[in-house]
Amino acid sequence: MPLLDDLSMPATEGAPDDLGRRRFLALLGSGALGVAALGTGITGLRFLEPQVLFEEETRFGLGRPEEFPPGTVLTLPKHKVYVVSTKEGFFALSSVCTHLGCMTRYDKEHAQIACPCHGSRFNLEGKVTAGPAPHPLPRVEIVLDRGLLVVDTAHRVAPDALLKVA
Amino acid sequence: MAALAKWLTDNRVYRSIIRHGFPDSNRNRSLVIFTNFFLHIHPVKARLRAIRFTRTFFLGGLSAACFFLLVATGVLLMFYYRPAVPHAYNDMKDLGFVVSSGVFLRNLHRWSAHTMVALVFLHMVVTFFRGAYRPPREFNWVLGVFLFVATILLSYTGYLLPWDQLAYWAVTVGTNMAQAVPVMGEKMRFLLLGGHGINENALVRFYVLHCVVLPLAMVLGISIHVWRVRKDGGIYLPPPANKGDER
Amino acid sequence: MTPPLPDPQQFTPVAGSDARATPVRLLVVQGEARPAVDASDEPMVMTFPHLVLREAIAFVALSIVLITISLIFNAPLEEIANPSRTPNPAKAPWYFLGLQELLHYYPPLISGVVLPGILMVALIVIPYFDINLERAPLAKSDRRRTLTFLWTAAVVLTAIFYFTGAQPVWPLIGPLLLVAVAITVALLLRSSGGVVSWLRSRSAPFWIFAWFLLSAVALTVIGIFFRGPGWSFVIPWRDGIYY
Repeated sequence: MPLLDDLSMPATEGAPDDLGRRRFLALLGSGALGVAALGTGITGLRFLEPQVLFEEETRFGLGRPEEFPPGTVLTLPKHKVYVVSTKEGFFALSSVCTHLGCMTRYDKEHAQIACPCHGSRFNLEGKVTAGPAPHPLPRVEIVLDRGLLVVDTAHRVAPDALLKVA
Repeated sequence: MAALAKWLTDNRVYRSIIRHGFPDSNRNRSLVIFTNFFLHIHPVKARLRAIRFTRTFFLGGLSAACFFLLVATGVLLMFYYRPAVPHAYNDMKDLGFVVSSGVFLRNLHRWSAHTMVALVFLHMVVTFFRGAYRPPREFNWVLGVFLFVATILLSYTGYLLPWDQLAYWAVTVGTNMAQAVPVMGEKMRFLLLGGHGINENALVRFYVLHCVVLPLAMVLGISIHVWRVRKDGGIYLPPPANKGDER
Repeated sequence: MTPPLPDPQQFTPVAGSDARATPVRLLVVQGEARPAVDASDEPMVMTFPHLVLREAIAFVALSIVLITISLIFNAPLEEIANPSRTPNPAKAPWYFLGLQELLHYYPPLISGVVLPGILMVALIVIPYFDINLERAPLAKSDRRRTLTFLWTAAVVLTAIFYFTGAQPVWPLIGPLLLVAVAITVALLLRSSGGVVSWLRSRSAPFWIFAWFLLSAVALTVIGIFFRGPGWSFVIPWRDGIYY
């Protein structure tokens, strides 16, 4: 066994079948390493994904529908939602700007909703009237539960959804 | 005086640490660079053109200096900071009113961070206009681009830590940009924040990124960046023969 | 450049098991000449003390400036984070205000992901394009063709940035036209010396990078100084700076 690497010695020494065996083992080894790396990556990502969240309750009661005569706009910054009462019925609008998630503000004077971050404006239906917002403000679920208005901000509903209160 | 210096430097203990004599000869001056861990990134001799202030404005070195100041002040600030709601904000107030020199350290950390972003950006601009990004230095330019991104990310993750209104809304706007990435944007934001909104999970994640992950990446990146500058023969200088080619 | 190879007759590699008897010396000469390999008789100085001292002075100067600033100006700290109240205007740190200004014109997918993405990729691939690595001045190419191409590109890009945004994106159009005019002036004027001839000796990458840089600066400056509540346009010396 020479002490020094002899460069004149062929790196792949031995019979052709021996070569095949080496290639197979090399492939097997690198394949195993690859699988292990993939597994580590996936479990790592799953580790980073929280399984339990301690976030605010998204479902909350408002009160009886009679308390909100048509024309009322309720701003509920804590729940990030507007509740609009019209002659036809009730609907709840998310108050998070669809542009980059700033909290919009209800501008009573101009009867519009304005975003302070990038200047988007919405009308009370949630439609974009000005600025860079790509979508109208989404409507979230509002139902009548045992005579009480109940909003669930986690559930988005159709953009023309309306809760009719007889 | 000379006797004292001689007594201090001419003994076995001193010589076991500093392996050369007083740098009054070119041999000893070479050894200063050659045998010093912190200086060995330098060559023993440098071209006069390369070390002129107006050639580089020392922008790369000053960026690294800012990073050093940031590590030093950052480690000290960590002694008083808890990444939790609402402790984080209260600790900021404590730093401001109770901890001696707390305000100063926080100021120095903040202003050094802003300065570092500006210096790294200027470093890139000068590197480009000098033409130093061209082969064989192309990969070092790419590394530099990544270091610039890392600098921005460090600054950005640090921005949330005081947990004040400024921090909260700047980060809200930024992470919603990540959401705009098609298909995986929503998931990316969820993983980055550890939740659906910016809350305590997000604060801890930004804290870990800011204090451990990104600084380590930065140290590694800076090391390779500087090492490659050496391997490519020092900083880029236009060939001296045809002076009309460049500034 | 390459030194003559030793005569293989006189140079026979020997391998032996005893490293002391036949020491192996390895020398790698790379094909491409490194800048420092280009021997030249330019003046050299000892790194210590010349460079090390300069670095030390630079570091101390930087520290003094930053420490002075830190002693005078306090870092901002507003009230505690309140998820239900967005401050007006809500501004990001200054180095993001260019991006935030861009977000005013395009939806987040374009201005938050696509445009910065294109910029990053462009920066990364610049050195890998073999186009004009010599940085030949634009003026050396066919002048008429260059100007035709330049203005076609300028008009098309202007049209894109004028019509596709929520508003005309002046911070991109302005620098673009400035660069185009500068190139045209440099190419058409025949004066030698001074600024014009310096401009004429600039290469195409210089101009493209100049456009990027001017746009980034314009966007950032507008974002910092000219935007107020609701991201409306304000005049800083009249309405004050909202930052």
